Parts: sequence; C-alpha cells; structure tokens
Amino acid sequence: MDYDEAITRLEEIVQALERGGIPLDATLKLYEEGAKLLEFCQQELASAEGKLNEMRLSEVESKLSE
Amino acid sequence: MSAGSDVTTGPIPVGQFVNLVRNTLRHDKLFQNQVIKGEITQWKRHSNGHTYFTLVDSEGQISAVIWQGRCTIDSLIEEGSVVVVIANLDLWAKAGKIQLIVNRIELVNKLGILEEQKKQLIASLRREGALDRMRMKLPMIPKHIAIITGFGSAALADMNRLMDNRWPGLRRTIIGVTVQGENAPNEIVRGLLAAGKLATPEYAKRLSQPPVDLIILGRGGGAPEDLWAFNLEPVVRGIIASRIPVVSAVGHESDLLVADLVADLRASTPSNAIELCVPEYDYHQMLSFNLNERLNEAANRLFIDWRKELYLLQTRLLNAPLKGIFNANKSVTQLSHRLTNAVSNQFVKARQNLESISTSLRLNIQKSLAEEATKLAVIESALNSSHPRNVLQRGYSMLTSKSGSVISSANELIQGQQIILALADGDAKATVDEIEKR
Repeated sequence: MDYDEAITRLEEIVQALERGGIPLDATLKLYEEGAKLLEFCQQELASAEGKLNEMRLSEVESKLSE
Repeated sequence: MSAGSDVTTGPIPVGQFVNLVRNTLRHDKLFQNQVIKGEITQWKRHSNGHTYFTLVDSEGQISAVIWQGRCTIDSLIEEGSVVVVIANLDLWAKAGKIQLIVNRIELVNKLGILEEQKKQLIASLRREGALDRMRMKLPMIPKHIAIITGFGSAALADMNRLMDNRWPGLRRTIIGVTVQGENAPNEIVRGLLAAGKLATPEYAKRLSQPPVDLIILGRGGGAPEDLWAFNLEPVVRGIIASRIPVVSAVGHESDLLVADLVADLRASTPSNAIELCVPEYDYHQMLSFNLNERLNEAANRLFIDWRKELYLLQTRLLNAPLKGIFNANKSVTQLSHRLTNAVSNQFVKARQNLESISTSLRLNIQKSLAEEATKLAVIESALNSSHPRNVLQRGYSMLTSKSGSVISSANELIQGQQIILALADGDAKATVDEIEKR
C-alpha cells in the first residue's frame, strides 16, 4: 500500500462511519482499520523527512564504492 | 629576399631551396593564421596523438595536421565534415610537402548537424517504442529525492529554496555534475547510475537512509548548444534504463529535449519539477488531521448510540416479567462483555494521538456497562431471593390482615382479630386467641 491508496481508503472509511447504520462489529473493524491507516499515513509523512546531502558526483561515487 | 638573387653563383642544393621556400611561406602574413573552409577527407587520428586530414573542395585540396593538444577537436568532426580552420601554412622539407598546421578547427553548421542527430535519435527511439513505453508513477510522498544538476548552480538554488518552502527538511541527495560541455553526457550518465545505486535496498541499508524513490534531472536555461547533453543518446539511454522514476527538468518551457521525451515526467523548468514532485507538507498534515477528527467524531457518535441502546435495554429489563430476567440478563452481560472486549482489544492498538479519545471512550463504555451489569445482577438476585413465593415454598407462611396488609409484628395484633395465613399453595382464615410478646 502507498500513501495515496491509504488516503483514499481512509476517506471511504470515514464516509461510511459518518453515514452510520453499520453493525457494531463492523464499525469497530472499520474504526480499527482507519486508525491503522492514519498511523501509516503519519509514518509516511514523518519518514519523508531527513538529511540534505549535497555532493559532487565524485564524492557520491567514492561514498558508494566504500 | 628573392630566390633568384643567388642563382648566378651556381646550383642550390634542393634541401636548401626547399628551406628557402619554407622560410618565405612562414614569413608571409598571407599564409599565417589564415581562415580556411573545406571538407574533411582522410581524417585520421594517429596513435601518436596527432590528427591528420586533407581539406578539400571542388577547386583543390591541401594536407593538414593538428598537433596533439594544440586545440580541442569537436567530437562531432568526422570524415566529410565541413569545417573552418585557422592554420599556418608550412612546408615539410623532407617530404617536400606543403601542409596546414591547424591552430583551431570548428564545425560549420554545428547546430544543424546536432539537430539532424537529434532527429535521428528520436526516430530510432520511436521505432524501438521507447517513446511510448509505460511511464513509472511518481511517489506521492517521496522519501528520498536524488537531484542531478550543476553543482552550485542557480537552478539548484531555486530548487532547494522551493523545496524548503513546500516541505522543509524533505530528504534529498544532490548529485552535482557538469551539465554542459564535453564531459556533461558522461557525468550525467554516471549521476543517474549513482542515483540508481542509492535506490537499491542494499545501498540504502548501508548508508542508513531510505532508498532513492525519485530522480530529478535538472539544468537551468541556456543556449541550445549548452543544453545539448540532454539530447544525446547516452543520457537518453541512462534515463530509459533507470528503475526509478526520472523527472526531466531542463531549460525553459520552450526547450524540448530528447530527455523530456523519454523521462517519466517532463517538467518545464527545474522549479516546475519541484512543484510537480514535492508535496506541500502543510496540506498533507491538515488532510490527515481532518481525517483523524472525522474518524473519531463518527465513531464516537456511533458508540454513544450503542450506549443509548444498552440503556434502553436495561430499562426494559427492569420492567420485564420475572421469568425473562435471568435469560435477558445473561444476554445483556454477554453483549456488554463483547463490546467491552472488542473495545479494549482493538483500541489498545490505536494510534498514539487517538489514545486520549479512545481511552476515555473505552472507560466510559466499560464503566457504564459494568454498572449496568451489576445493577442487573442485584435486581435479579433480589427478585429471586426475596419474592414471597420463594419464601413460602420453604415452609414459611405470611400473615395478613383481612384487608390484605402484611402483619410482621405482634404489636399489630389484637385478641379475637380475624387474620389470613398465606401459604405457598393456598390461604387459611384464622382468629387470634392469645398474644405473647417477646
């Protein structure tokens, strides 16, 4: 699963819960899935952050051949 | 000096004569630093580093040599090229051969030749199907972008600034290469290879960073010739060979390069590449915040509805006939267990920032369900043990007045009073004979 698939599914879940009329079991399952998807999306956003490496080609190449 | 002035003294040795001619040629400005145009034949790059060729047109021809290191030779120059040279005329005495010593050589109509090569490259790519091949999808949230561009270039500064505006701290590796000139194609290809290595799990693990999942190949605007590396086959092949998406971001909107035709996405400028590839942090944080709120609100509302339903059930139970209480109580208890279990099992795993809402929700549900179950148990046991019928069945009897009010004290009795004895299976009328108080 990637981020946009997760967001799309999450939107579906939220809409289903907002409409209501779902049995208790199913609601709990949807809620749990939604919470997991949110966690995944948050992780995706967090994992995009990192260092800025600025190197000349030769530096990159020597780093790769270490 | 004229060659004829010494003739009267006798014959001149030929070598001397030839050198006389050579000196004359070498000192005549007409033959030095002359600009000459012609077509190349017998183009030969010798192993000694010198380059030999003949410059020819329909009226004549002359030998020429480029001494090693004397000037740069465009790699496009080949047999049949039309060139302009700046050269000195010299005479090679030993061979008696006149030749041009070339100081500079330039292709005539270089851009035309390049354009023709570009056209041919595009045609062959089209034949191969490389132009219509499936393009890779760009990651919506790139976790590691490799930017291959001129080191310290204005284009890089623009890209960095724009990235910091959209997503400060987004992970990126800048691979600084030469983007124009003779070394550019080679360096760009090596840059693509290096980025490709950074995209493999092996190197990602070794360097403790996520694998590169997007490459931006960028260069700012310039003259067509300055951008030409991005029209050359090695670079184009390098892009096609990439296993991760490559965004081509070269020059201005109006520059269309072969790299643009084969890339997974064409950006009109380096800045445009950032707009297309780098998501806006604030937007995505807001999106996920809103979904979080909506998810919790909707779930909360539904859970509140279920609590109401349980409450109604409890009220109905309180008013239900005795016989049904036990079974109903059992099923309510089971339901409350299920809800409590489901809520506690599933909510434990819920996200950190949902914790407060889900915890309070869970506690509320558990608390009210527990209270309800206790109440029901108390009601049931009270009803079961204290109902008069149960007591009477154990051999006790109940005393009431004729009007039916229960008599539980000797003080309520008077001698001769008519009373009713209630037994489990019937009543008996009686009269009080004597009262003994304790």
